[in-house]
Amino acid sequence: MAVVTRDERSAGTATNGRPAGRGPFLRPRAAQDVGRPSIAWAIPATVYFTIFALLPLGVVVWLSFTSWSGIGAPTSVGLSNWRSLVSDPVMRESILLMLLLTALGVVTQIPVSLLLGVWAAGRQRTRAVLTALYFIPLLMSSAAVAIVWRALLDPNFGLPHQFPAIFGNGDLFGSAPDAIGILTFVGMWQWTPLYTLIFQGGARAIPTSLYEAAAIDGAGTVRQFFTITLPQLRNTIITSMILMVIGGMTTFESILILTQGHPGNSTTTTAYYMYEEAFDNFAFGKASAIAVVLVVIATGIGLAISKWTGYDKMRSTLEGV
Amino acid sequence: MSVSRRFLWCGVMAALVLAAALAVSACGTSGPGAAADPKGSFEIADYGDANDTLEQSAVNTYNATPEGHKVKAVLQTFPGANYSEKLQTIIGSGEAPDVFFNWGSGSIQSYVKAGLVQPLNGIFQSDPQLNTSFLPNIMSAAKIGNDYYGVPMRGTQPVFLFYNKSVLAKYHLSPPATWSQLLSEVGTLKSRGLIPIALGGGDQWPELMWIEYVYDRVAGAQLVTQALDGDHSVWKSSASQQALNDVKQLIQSGAFGHSYDSVKFTTGASTKLLVTGRSAFELMGSWEYSTAQGISPSFAKNDLGYVAFPSIPGGAGNPTDLVGNTQNYYSILKSAPHQQAIADFLKVMYTPKFLTNLVAKGWLPTTTDATKYIKASPSPNWLTWQFDRVKQSAHFQESWDQAWPPQQITPIHDAVGSFFDNMNAQSFISAMAALPAA
Repeated sequence: MAVVTRDERSAGTATNGRPAGRGPFLRPRAAQDVGRPSIAWAIPATVYFTIFALLPLGVVVWLSFTSWSGIGAPTSVGLSNWRSLVSDPVMRESILLMLLLTALGVVTQIPVSLLLGVWAAGRQRTRAVLTALYFIPLLMSSAAVAIVWRALLDPNFGLPHQFPAIFGNGDLFGSAPDAIGILTFVGMWQWTPLYTLIFQGGARAIPTSLYEAAAIDGAGTVRQFFTITLPQLRNTIITSMILMVIGGMTTFESILILTQGHPGNSTTTTAYYMYEEAFDNFAFGKASAIAVVLVVIATGIGLAISKWTGYDKMRSTLEGV
Repeated sequence: MSVSRRFLWCGVMAALVLAAALAVSACGTSGPGAAADPKGSFEIADYGDANDTLEQSAVNTYNATPEGHKVKAVLQTFPGANYSEKLQTIIGSGEAPDVFFNWGSGSIQSYVKAGLVQPLNGIFQSDPQLNTSFLPNIMSAAKIGNDYYGVPMRGTQPVFLFYNKSVLAKYHLSPPATWSQLLSEVGTLKSRGLIPIALGGGDQWPELMWIEYVYDRVAGAQLVTQALDGDHSVWKSSASQQALNDVKQLIQSGAFGHSYDSVKFTTGASTKLLVTGRSAFELMGSWEYSTAQGISPSFAKNDLGYVAFPSIPGGAGNPTDLVGNTQNYYSILKSAPHQQAIADFLKVMYTPKFLTNLVAKGWLPTTTDATKYIKASPSPNWLTWQFDRVKQSAHFQESWDQAWPPQQITPIHDAVGSFFDNMNAQSFISAMAALPAA
């Protein structure tokens, strides 16, 4: 078979009257380049990332050294936003709260979605129907989920009124532990289906030969779960955790709709505090400083997780199988 | 999870908005007027909601006049949520409107200070009716220093004490005229297992209404006026302490039940307490009428009672004083090139046709001749009663969260929210004293 070189093809497109602008990027330079995408393929993503991520990030860093209410031009204030942030008790609490909510999210969502996912990967008769039901929350937007739960938890017309034995006086949004509990619960209700789906896929990919061999050796369901399923799902668990951590740290809509940071500031996370400073108080300078802190923490934790778990090495769980 | 990935960059997204606004505002330094339409038109920034058809009809009326044929009015509506934020962003940009909707006083304070807003004294001199057609206490709510900055363009929304007529009748109670009567009725209702007063504490501003009224009745209207002028000592006065003590007494009596922090007005939950008879009272703005109507039209018609806030004997306040949203106003930016045309447009605001439309929408106009139009409304008794309260009021205090600039809304709401939680007068006083002068 005659091999058509890229030169010939690009020459062909040029003579066909198509724009030849792509030519210089796509022209192969040496034989070893064949099979590797040229740098040109990265251009759209790079341009997009620069315009919509790096550039604004730079502007935010600059704004964090200014005072700006949205009227007129920002005035430089040096380090004053940063100084006020360091001594700001709300900021400190918001970071702790963000970490707490994230940890609670991981701790509650991983076990539930792992068990559901592994179960859903099976071939039971009721599986398809029940799994479809479990996925309903995934079809709703965060805002819709939050509005539904706010109504369900109304002290006078919702569940607390029907079940005072469980909910006490029903003032769930009036106490800090209850409000944090609600945010964790609603987050779990909303996001578990997604991770269930991921774990279901992961569990289905585990070779059945492993289970067959274990069964022959006399391992029961529980033993199989801990010695085969769990280790095989290692990378899936790490992926889910990274998504949960980043999602948890930037949770915003559910706080805006469910608690608005109340009672007091006890559910004001860093992301919500940033919003409050920028769009309620028009302190765009301070809000930008908070945004920078948020980006640094989120990136740092994301990197740390992939480092500590060895996820960056992408080691296969199927070695030797 | 694409949502999470997107939110990783939520700071960045916000930055994008900032960057865009910044770029626009940098362009705007050459002066917004430079971009004026050569054919002649001026742009009106309006609060977009169910009522903006009124503003559109006013614009159409003006555009049909000979003046309107020369310089056209163009209405630009911004969806209502976060209107202040959007306005602030656009006024700082080269795309600034010529005329803009606002709430008077605190809402325009920062623009006036930045020298962006046109004082209306000159326009009032050439057309005195633009001032004298409206009630003086409404005009003064958009007065800063010696200058007027706003022309009323919708209706007024005072706060009243609403009650469920059947509930009061059932327990042989009458609408409270004094604070002590209110307290004793709260005791009766509570002993019957009711939440005596519905309160949307989750929204915080309904709690602020109680504080505003009690402060007015106990300390008098001038306390807030002085505080707005920057006199922080008024918050530490004995009258201030007394007012807080009265509110504390009411909360501690169980008037609002124990779960008011979890109840919101904005979800309809607090009004529903009143409509279903599980509460007897709710202190709310005049929009409570339409909110109740939305839940149960027959309740609003037959069972919804309303009364002025009770007097507090011994207090310095005038019992006719009102608090609430005094009015919405149109203000003009100095940069607007067609000042005369805008003055002609504003005349529409006191024409019979416009006022008739306003009343048909359920609003209470604030012109001196409003009663003429009220009679034709679907609820004339309710509007007439309100108008008399507004007209007779010795002082009409703009809600604190609108009297102070928007930057202070969160600190004010936080102070009020904490007070209703822990009833710590000292921390409320220091939070209020920390507010800068408006």
